[in-house]
Amino acid sequence: MSKSTEPVFDIDDLSVTYGDFRAVEGITLDIQPNEITAFIGPSGCGKTTVLRCFNRMNDLIESASVEGSIRYHGVDLYGPRIDPVEVRRRMGMVFQKPNPFPKTIYDNIAFGPRVAGHKGDLDDLVEESLTRAALWEEVRGKLAEPALALSGGQQQRLCIARAIATRPDVVLMDEPCSSLDPIATLKIEELMLELKKDYTIVIVTHNMQQAARVSDRTAFFTVDVRDGGVRTGRLVEFDDTGVIFTNPSVQSTEDYITGRFG
Amino acid sequence: MQHPHDETRHRYSESLDATLRSTVELGALVLENFRRTTEALLENRLDLAQHVIAADDEIDAKYAALEHRVFEVMARQQPVAGDLRFLVAMTRILYEIERSGDLAVNCAKGLIRREGYSLTANIQSLLARMSRKAADLFSRGLDALADLDAEAGARLDEADDAVDDLVGELYSAIAQRSGDMGFDLAVELSRVGRYMERIADHAVNIAEHVTFIVTGSFPEETAATKDEG
Repeated sequence: MSKSTEPVFDIDDLSVTYGDFRAVEGITLDIQPNEITAFIGPSGCGKTTVLRCFNRMNDLIESASVEGSIRYHGVDLYGPRIDPVEVRRRMGMVFQKPNPFPKTIYDNIAFGPRVAGHKGDLDDLVEESLTRAALWEEVRGKLAEPALALSGGQQQRLCIARAIATRPDVVLMDEPCSSLDPIATLKIEELMLELKKDYTIVIVTHNMQQAARVSDRTAFFTVDVRDGGVRTGRLVEFDDTGVIFTNPSVQSTEDYITGRFG
Repeated sequence: MQHPHDETRHRYSESLDATLRSTVELGALVLENFRRTTEALLENRLDLAQHVIAADDEIDAKYAALEHRVFEVMARQQPVAGDLRFLVAMTRILYEIERSGDLAVNCAKGLIRREGYSLTANIQSLLARMSRKAADLFSRGLDALADLDAEAGARLDEADDAVDDLVGELYSAIAQRSGDMGFDLAVELSRVGRYMERIADHAVNIAEHVTFIVTGSFPEETAATKDEG
């Protein structure tokens, strides 16, 4: 599994606990630069929990604790001198439901860079971000209009533009197309393939065809239910997407992707 | 774990099982027709040869229906992993079976064209042995398919050497007697030998596709990997 390039994330024996509840345990995998890595698996398998460790969003939940190590370009992401705000600046995040700010299209993009003290020309940055998110042509004449007036697919591309406006290194996507129609979904998928030239992308998706279409590597998670109904997520198989969808090594991966359980 | 799509997926699994069963049944029809062909050849039974040609229409119709079913399952279910390997292999296996049926028909048509063959005892014996071996291989190919036996591919490939040896013997025997039997019959009988050899090859291919369904690679690849290891 190890590739010759230096991984963006190197995750070793990661476990996440909320209070007494262990959400995932023993996760070991690496995320390679300029690739799309897909996390798939049934609800409760911990794929979103792992994604949220990458930008330390689990810090926002008081009872959450993280064990094991996540190295980001070789640096311990949970080390004592790491500023979670700086981590989140480097990792743009796109959520399941498009969540533009109730502001103008322009301000949605300009907000983050302004807060971060962007020195250059904001107009240029807004145009560049919207262009990269394949939205510029559709909104160039109405930048002062409210973002919430856009269609769902446009709002999601706006959120992607907003995520990349702070010039992150990684884009994390948590089911970015689950509220979109097939055409809007296709546009986001095309955009992802375009964006991976400049960014590293990790996507959580329930849509297995989406994982098969866009990702380079796929991680399949599952959930073990123990006595007393305690559910803990774990990584079952991680491999090139072509291998996962033509000849997976583990029977439970096969059962899940062929729809025989879950 | 109960799931809202369980019922749909159950039907999907059943439709894959049914496809496998129907494909094996189609193969059995082809095998039966091939045995009829050899009987016609060895006993100069033109009536049987006609029967072979007529029976192939049913085989062709079933082949077309099964192939259509496989395409439809692919389009509707977007199969992956083992299901994808199964369905892709099934289109190839259906082709191997249908093509074998056509080769049996070619033998029958040759016999009718010449209104029967007069064969030397040696050539008749060679044809009888070849056809038995080819039919046996074809039957084993169908067993491999019915049981999804991953090991059969390599076994059948070895067994096929005997058919190749026999066709070599047949060509020599024909060459020795070509003066007496005349050019046209010599060519015709060489063709019959060639068709039987091809049927055996199709049988081996069927078993090799089964290996692919089960393991994700063909027997020679598996062997190559083992050699490297």
